[in-house]
Amino acid sequence: MTAAAIEVEDVSFSYGEVEAVKGISFDVAPGEILGFLGPNGAGKSTTIKILTGQLPPKSGRARVLGTDVTTDDPVMQAQIGVCFEEKNLYESMSGRENLRFFASLFGIRDVDTEVLLRRVGLADRAGDRVAKYSKGMRQRLMMARTLVNTPKVLFLDEPTDGLDPVSSQAIRALINQEAERGAAVLLTTHDMHEADELSDRVAFINDGRLHAIDTPENLKLEHGKRSVKVRIRDGERVTEQTVSLEDAAAGEELKAAVSAAGLMTIHTEEATLESIFIEMTGRGLEG
Amino acid sequence: MSAGRVLTVLRKDLQLGPRSPIFLWVLLLPVLITLVLQVAFGDLFDPEPRLGIVDEGASVITAAVAEIDGIELTRLDDADVLRSRVEANDLDAGLVLAAGFDGDVRGGARPPLEFYVGGESLASNRIILAVTAVELIRDVEGRAPPVDVEVVELGEEGLPISVRLVPFITMYALLVAAVFLPSFSLADEREKRTLDALVVTPVKLSEVVTAKGILGFGLAVPMAVVTLWLNSALTARPLALIVVLVVAGVMLVEIGLIYGTASKDITGVFTLIKGTGFILLAPTIFYIFPDWPQWIAKLFPTYWVINPVYEVTINNEGLGTVWVELAIALGVAVLLAVIAMALTARLRTKLATT
Repeated sequence: MTAAAIEVEDVSFSYGEVEAVKGISFDVAPGEILGFLGPNGAGKSTTIKILTGQLPPKSGRARVLGTDVTTDDPVMQAQIGVCFEEKNLYESMSGRENLRFFASLFGIRDVDTEVLLRRVGLADRAGDRVAKYSKGMRQRLMMARTLVNTPKVLFLDEPTDGLDPVSSQAIRALINQEAERGAAVLLTTHDMHEADELSDRVAFINDGRLHAIDTPENLKLEHGKRSVKVRIRDGERVTEQTVSLEDAAAGEELKAAVSAAGLMTIHTEEATLESIFIEMTGRGLEG
Repeated sequence: MSAGRVLTVLRKDLQLGPRSPIFLWVLLLPVLITLVLQVAFGDLFDPEPRLGIVDEGASVITAAVAEIDGIELTRLDDADVLRSRVEANDLDAGLVLAAGFDGDVRGGARPPLEFYVGGESLASNRIILAVTAVELIRDVEGRAPPVDVEVVELGEEGLPISVRLVPFITMYALLVAAVFLPSFSLADEREKRTLDALVVTPVKLSEVVTAKGILGFGLAVPMAVVTLWLNSALTARPLALIVVLVVAGVMLVEIGLIYGTASKDITGVFTLIKGTGFILLAPTIFYIFPDWPQWIAKLFPTYWVINPVYEVTINNEGLGTVWVELAIALGVAVLLAVIAMALTARLRTKLATT
């Protein structure tokens, strides 16, 4: 069995009196993408700060690549990559200079910035100052910076937040490539479609508590309500019928609906992660 | 702490330096202040009178002019060359002393004397040179002046204002490089959240702060030397000068790091500097106004670094004279280092929680 790259056991953290993380436990295996789903203020970023050694947990234990995160170990830090929600790049440096500088912080002298910049579609703007980059270009450079040390563990905090579809898709492709390479990825997002598309497993976090952690399919099977929507024309009228697949009589109901003379359309209706999240936590993801 | 990682951050700061207005400010401001204050109060652009002499007979007049501070003497061999250089305004005036001139004067022979005056020379320089020449000839003759001149000094005896300004200008150069540069650089990184990106790499916050300190120190000491040189205050005791400037640089850099780690953004640093800048500069005001009670200057921590600089540069004293002050300055520096370290630890938590 492969050892987990990230191990979190009953970790809690408080900002003064406010409990931001309340006894959460989970792990992430190498090559796995864990989507951390929750609304703003749920505890996602605090969890990342604990795991990257920026905040010490108030209780519990957290290990990254087998190293306790409270040890502030440069060897562990050299093997992780962190992509912040905020675009904290050196704006008066070029994209290439940003990557070279961060590579040198990891002790890497011969980094091939051109390969990295090509991967994020910035090769032709490598020499331009970041101040001239668009928001999407900055985010792609942030991803390139995160990958500069070929990390074994990636912490990605809302990496596609507010980006156009093309930039978002480019970043999602990169995340998949990194997971295929064997990197463990902890991806925080409140975009359910992104989490569904990318994640091997998703974790629902709300109000500092972990409500569920499983594959998107299992969560949908376990908590979602499956149904079929049938539309039938009856003279001038169009009627719509929803057949719940959870009911015992679903088969008979569906057969009757499909046999109807004026059948127009049949749609299967699968549960979404958002609907499951709302059902489990009582609140939406955008809040 | 890793020296390699500190150097990496330092290299980045040096690379970004020329792109930062604060960096240029550090390099230019001491020079500009020197120029402004020396033009206003000093003699930076007052040229010394330039006298050329063709001395064909080893006159004592030439030797006497060479001894006078404030007259630039040029010895020439040929009267025609002298004449052409005065005409070209290379010299303000020229004097041709024929062989046996001194003997003839002493013998009362009234030998002819050619004294050239440049048409473009300053009137003040012409007068100084003419009066000096007549006075020296009278000395050779051995005759007393026709009147007894009573010299009456007006104003208080003391150093000229241009010299009294040197501690102020030097302290300003040190402050801009050692306090402003590290504090603004740290606050800028905090404001733009690039510090957050650094602390999740193998680099530690203490290493980033140390790099900023080295940057400030590395510029402060050379800029102080340049400022002293511009003000003609470089001492004949270079070792003593370096020691006092190093101590001054260390103490002021620590103040800069305290400002930088205590402020959440550049506005915060500005507020701190506006609020406390007077305290840092205050001791230097007491050199400008020597009739003020000088003991008050000792109440300010920067007195203990600027007075050694003053003693070594202006009074040409050695380390033996200023060691007590340097010891006190080092004590203050240790205290400031403890405060800077505590604020750095606090900053790490603040970065993660804001």
